[in-house]
Amino acid sequence: MIRSLIDQATRINRRDALRIGGPGMLGLTLPALLQAEEQSGGVLLPGSGKAKSVIFLFQWGGPSHVDTFDMKPDAPEEYRSKYRTIRTSVPGMSVCEHLPETAKVMHHFGQIRTVHHTMNNHNSAGYTALTGVEPPTDDQRLRDSLDLFPAFGSVVDYLAPGSSGLPTSVAFPYTIADGSITPGQRASFLGRLHDPLFISNDPNDTNFRLPQLSLPSDVSWERLQNRRALQSIINQQVQSLDQSMTAQGLDAYYEKAASMLNSRQIRKAFDISQEPDAIRDAYGRTTYGQSCLLARRLVESGVKFVTVYFAPSIGGRSKTDGGWDTHGFDDTRMYEILPEWHFPVTDHTLPVLINDLKLRGLLDETLVMWFGEFGRTPKINKNISRDHWPKCYTALLAGGGVRGGSVYGASDRVGAFPDRDPVTTGDLAATMYHALGINPATEIRDNLNRPLPIARGKAVTELFG
Amino acid sequence: MMISCRDCNLLGLALLLCLSGFTASAGADESPSFQNEVMAVLSKAGCNRGTCHGNANGKGGFRLSLRGQNPEADFQTLTHSAAQRRITALNPDDSLLLKKPLMQVPHEGGQQLTMDSVEHQILRRWIEAGTPDDPAGSASVISIRVSPMHRLVEFPLNSAQLTVNATFSDGSTRDVTALTVFESSSLHVEIDRSGLATASRPCLTTVTARYLNQQVPVRLEFIAHQPDFAFTAPPVANFIDEAVFSQLQRLKVNPTAVCDDITFLRRVCLDLTGLLPSAQQTQAFLQSTAADKRAKLIDELLASDSFNDFQALRWADLLRVEDKTLDETGVSVFHGWIRTSFAENRPLNDFCADMIEAKGSTYKVPATNFYRALRTSEERAEAAAQLFLGVRLQCAKCHNHPFDQWTQDDYYGWSNFFARIDYEIVENKRRDSNDKHEFAGEQIVKITDKGDVRNPTTGKPASLRFLGNSGDADPEAVTAGDPAPDRLQRLGEWLRSPDNERFAATQANRIWAQLFGRGLVDPVDDFRTTNPPVNPELLTLLTQEFVAHDFDVRHLMRIILNSNTYQLAGSSEEDEIAATCFAVTVPRRLTAEQALDGICSVLNVPAAFGGHPQGTKAVQLTGVRNGGHRYSKPDVGDRFLKLFGKPNRLQSCECERSGEPTLAQTFEMISGELINEMLKNPGNRIRLQLAEKTPPMEIVSQLYQAALSRPPSADEQSAIEKHMQQTADPVRSLEDIAWALLNSNEFLIRR
Repeated sequence: MIRSLIDQATRINRRDALRIGGPGMLGLTLPALLQAEEQSGGVLLPGSGKAKSVIFLFQWGGPSHVDTFDMKPDAPEEYRSKYRTIRTSVPGMSVCEHLPETAKVMHHFGQIRTVHHTMNNHNSAGYTALTGVEPPTDDQRLRDSLDLFPAFGSVVDYLAPGSSGLPTSVAFPYTIADGSITPGQRASFLGRLHDPLFISNDPNDTNFRLPQLSLPSDVSWERLQNRRALQSIINQQVQSLDQSMTAQGLDAYYEKAASMLNSRQIRKAFDISQEPDAIRDAYGRTTYGQSCLLARRLVESGVKFVTVYFAPSIGGRSKTDGGWDTHGFDDTRMYEILPEWHFPVTDHTLPVLINDLKLRGLLDETLVMWFGEFGRTPKINKNISRDHWPKCYTALLAGGGVRGGSVYGASDRVGAFPDRDPVTTGDLAATMYHALGINPATEIRDNLNRPLPIARGKAVTELFG
Repeated sequence: MMISCRDCNLLGLALLLCLSGFTASAGADESPSFQNEVMAVLSKAGCNRGTCHGNANGKGGFRLSLRGQNPEADFQTLTHSAAQRRITALNPDDSLLLKKPLMQVPHEGGQQLTMDSVEHQILRRWIEAGTPDDPAGSASVISIRVSPMHRLVEFPLNSAQLTVNATFSDGSTRDVTALTVFESSSLHVEIDRSGLATASRPCLTTVTARYLNQQVPVRLEFIAHQPDFAFTAPPVANFIDEAVFSQLQRLKVNPTAVCDDITFLRRVCLDLTGLLPSAQQTQAFLQSTAADKRAKLIDELLASDSFNDFQALRWADLLRVEDKTLDETGVSVFHGWIRTSFAENRPLNDFCADMIEAKGSTYKVPATNFYRALRTSEERAEAAAQLFLGVRLQCAKCHNHPFDQWTQDDYYGWSNFFARIDYEIVENKRRDSNDKHEFAGEQIVKITDKGDVRNPTTGKPASLRFLGNSGDADPEAVTAGDPAPDRLQRLGEWLRSPDNERFAATQANRIWAQLFGRGLVDPVDDFRTTNPPVNPELLTLLTQEFVAHDFDVRHLMRIILNSNTYQLAGSSEEDEIAATCFAVTVPRRLTAEQALDGICSVLNVPAAFGGHPQGTKAVQLTGVRNGGHRYSKPDVGDRFLKLFGKPNRLQSCECERSGEPTLAQTFEMISGELINEMLKNPGNRIRLQLAEKTPPMEIVSQLYQAALSRPPSADEQSAIEKHMQQTADPVRSLEDIAWALLNSNEFLIRR
């Protein structure tokens, strides 16, 4: 019994996971998860995907699809990118001239060029991209409530948690926000138990360490052990509590926390300083670069879902930080900013991550996803920049069984609308679950016990194999 | 509600049309009735479930209405849609409709039927007959009767046969067991196609039997074999014990004994005030030899200021008292009004109806903040149904509620009560002009004389409908376009009426749940026929008592608290039936506020909360600083509360408060800033007492009293002495002891 409770913090035996909730779970409602399993023909679809892990590189702010991977060199001038195209490792495929290193690894990427939804604001669009579900309104300050859908990583933790002793889902190095915290980063109605482990420290800091895994300065491991010994004596005093699920649940967490504090495996996974300097330099000594390196370390150690946020804010006006929201406001200019900040950081890091995964034999079992909450207006605005465009944009997928060099869907002449094979964010979510071998039709239950499929869409299976 | 209909993957606007009659039954030589048999097969075989072809997108290009809500559309789909190969008239056995569920061709949903099944035979005969629609005037189902409705089964017997008879509009009846879908609320009960329910272990379950648009709940109780069972229970203190103990006797479950004084003291203090008993309270209570000392303590606590704080906290959670939408003044006046209502013991029906009828300035008429927080008719309607009537009406927005009686007519008819609320925004000095949820300034909640919620199926203004017990609307209200003086006053009258049994039962159940951690109907806002109370007689008695005493919350609480059921001890054995039927007190973790106030009182250091003066207790906080708002930065105390499950108050649901333990909480208790800063705070109990030369063991005693309401045991005493010797530094060793107390199950769990 205790054993299984300890297990559940990392590796959920479903029945126990339901029971750890304690008395509240003793009601007469059929536990959601088992029902989900029964109804949808199984959570796991063996053979549907090769991926064991996902690295989700979320490009907050919304990168321009028509200035990166879906360039339209023949479009009329008012649409056409100011950048030139260059050839890539895939015959006939070109990308932006400012992504020369990325161009060399395009044979590892599959692209979906017709991702679309209807949300024009960052928070509502961000939530859509992070969950695959559109909110009821296109709300610039969409409030993060339990009504909304959980993050991908939380769904994975709920349905198919990892078995490595590490958290299933880890997110860093920021929580993203635009005026208010962007929904879709947490477990929402699945329960806090399934929140990703958040790290808000910068992996590029010399003293980077996991705050959760650090004891206060005056509390040594030995002192904690002494405290725990006293705690254990107190806990032995009340016999009727021993067997209670609530007490056992708490005990299990103390065990788990202590073992994490003392775990060499976990320390090692998060100890980025163990990487040789050459590797650290190769990824780039930036927050994003080192975050991607940390992502690789975590995947290597068995973390199932890693989310790396490119920037904490939508940005777009600075040449030294921030996200991809390049409107050209305040006399800034997209075409000047991107080559100074977003492109170099991306081009320094993304291909290195892909090659490193490949070299280590991890690429086949790791799905890498690269996209933002929307693309940008095909027509160049009066600031010689571009505004929000959710009607058609590009997602990059690599590894995890994705056929490298493939392109699914095509946008029209100027990149404004899908020309063929449109893909919704629900389809995109289904594709990710498919890659992980999770049945996208699996139902989870919200706070009102309503059954909701984890993905409202169909996997783009054409990208695989 | 933010997850809308299409997310449920249900067919929008599916209305169960009043069917114009079909033959109820068909002999073997007649073709089967589409409405009464084929549709039932599609449900029984699971074809029209939300995860299969009942999905909004269908599956494999084949889409049915969810759970057969729209037979007409399904008839069209099966007989007239383009993919005719689903049905091959010339050779019925070639029809995909037959081959797929038999898995004769690949079927993602697997094999659902066998050749010899009744379901297969019905589909086959229907195809053979040329897929006929039912003749005009055929009989439709009026009701179903399930037998038995209730059964107690004692192991080693472990099964019960259910039979279902349907009555049709032509007066005929027929056994439809084979065509009925059975669903068990317990995982331990399986029901086969013939209606035989089998339990794998003792448990209680509600089985929902569903045939076409009719569903009926059946109660099955599978109990352990105990030939020598002798019922023993504490004395019956009042009607609550009578109702609980008689159910337990029937189920052959013995309740535990009445708990000891310390357990009772801590339990009742936490439940009524959210606070641990002080050392003085503990001493006085334990020393008293009065026979009625528990009753006296209950009365004292019910009369205390802390009781009002704690009730205000509970209701502020449900009424969305948060500062982004209400602003600071709004939070303050609304919270103040809630608290005062409890301080003055305002009858709960009036308290709720006051909010329904509220209009005027949100600064001057506090109850109007109820509407200030709920900006659309639908939000108001859903919140009012959930809070006051225990109805989760949200599902009925887009389609008839799949597990309840509510229809879209109910949804829009109820919503229309709230359609004419408007806001005069006197001032809005919001700091984030892009944030439409933020309001800073006074508003006037007004009733306009125009505007209606339209029923999407008719396109016309929805008739007003109360959510009554029978589901019937008041005919006068339905026919009247706009009943005088205004809709919401009318609604308020209806809500507060002693005849409104649904309101009374919902609130009585909420009060029960506050004290026991779980409702007789659970979740507390999910009253429906398919989720019946665990002890229906008890809920009825509580409801009657509540109404008879003018919706007096303290009165009902007093009766519950004085029952021996409330005062039962915990048990080292956790039995599901015993826990479900209140035969034992089930421990639960302290809430966020209880835990933090407890920590503060043990260490004698206040926590810091944004926007509140130092020394404010967590249970006294008016609003919520959740970090989701850039202008109300959470302080260290606010962050702790959020981590431990304090709700953001963006929903009208108890479920928004989380009591589940998480690893992050444990890390906070081990290495988090709040605990460690408090342990090291120069003004904390440890350091102050040491400065006053109090002997360390005396300080240990104080810590024990504050944290656990008891002195250390002999075992603990010797362990502590040993630890103090080893550590040598009294500050450090006392910090360690305080840490251990605050992290002990005895401290963190209400039992």
